[in-house]
Amino acid sequence: MNTLIVLTVVDIVLLIAGLALYLWIVGTQLTRVATNLEECNELVQQIKANAESIEGNLEHINRTGGVVAGALPLLYGMAEGIVVGATYDPEQVPERGPALPASGRRRSRLHDGVGYHPEGPGMNAHAPLAEQAESA
Amino acid sequence: MVFALTDTQENLWWIAIIAGFVVVLAVAALLTILVLLVRTIDRRVVEIKATLTQAEANTADAALLDTTAAGVDLVLAEGLEHHLFLGRVLGKVRS
Repeated sequence: MNTLIVLTVVDIVLLIAGLALYLWIVGTQLTRVATNLEECNELVQQIKANAESIEGNLEHINRTGGVVAGALPLLYGMAEGIVVGATYDPEQVPERGPALPASGRRRSRLHDGVGYHPEGPGMNAHAPLAEQAESA
Repeated sequence: MVFALTDTQENLWWIAIIAGFVVVLAVAALLTILVLLVRTIDRRVVEIKATLTQAEANTADAALLDTTAAGVDLVLAEGLEHHLFLGRVLGKVRS
């Protein structure tokens, strides 16, 4: 009889103690999980806030970039037109022969060098030394 | 005070005690499985938190898209200035 009572009490105590122990363990774990999930929730909210501006800004950048990309060929064409119009194109010069003096043979200046100024019919006479040198 | 039990009552009591122990063992086994599952959940929540932290760090620079959009607008405005300038110069070169 006493054995039955003791075993019954042990049985109930084991059941209650086991339940309490596991409840405490699971409660601790779930508290930690709840804390982590709360932090995850904050992170998700932060990510959402960060990502909200992506779509609008990307659409803006793509639209503006498309306009720029479409206008660049026009600018290239205008720049090429400027280069073609501003490049120097000299006119063709006809070929000509060697340059010759237009005044003919020049008189000797040897007399002038020694201070001799002949007057009269021999004033324009040719210098004999120069003529010899030319004939040689 | 003396309790008198018949053999049948005593046998039923024994059966109840044994069944109680079996129930305690079953509860212990099930709660052990529960604890292991919750531990798995806890570990994976930690991994998810680490991934979300990395994702938050990756998206933190998304605010710079505002600056980028403003810069692209400036590029477009400068391109329009170039367009006007080249148009004027091209008209003078052709004339």
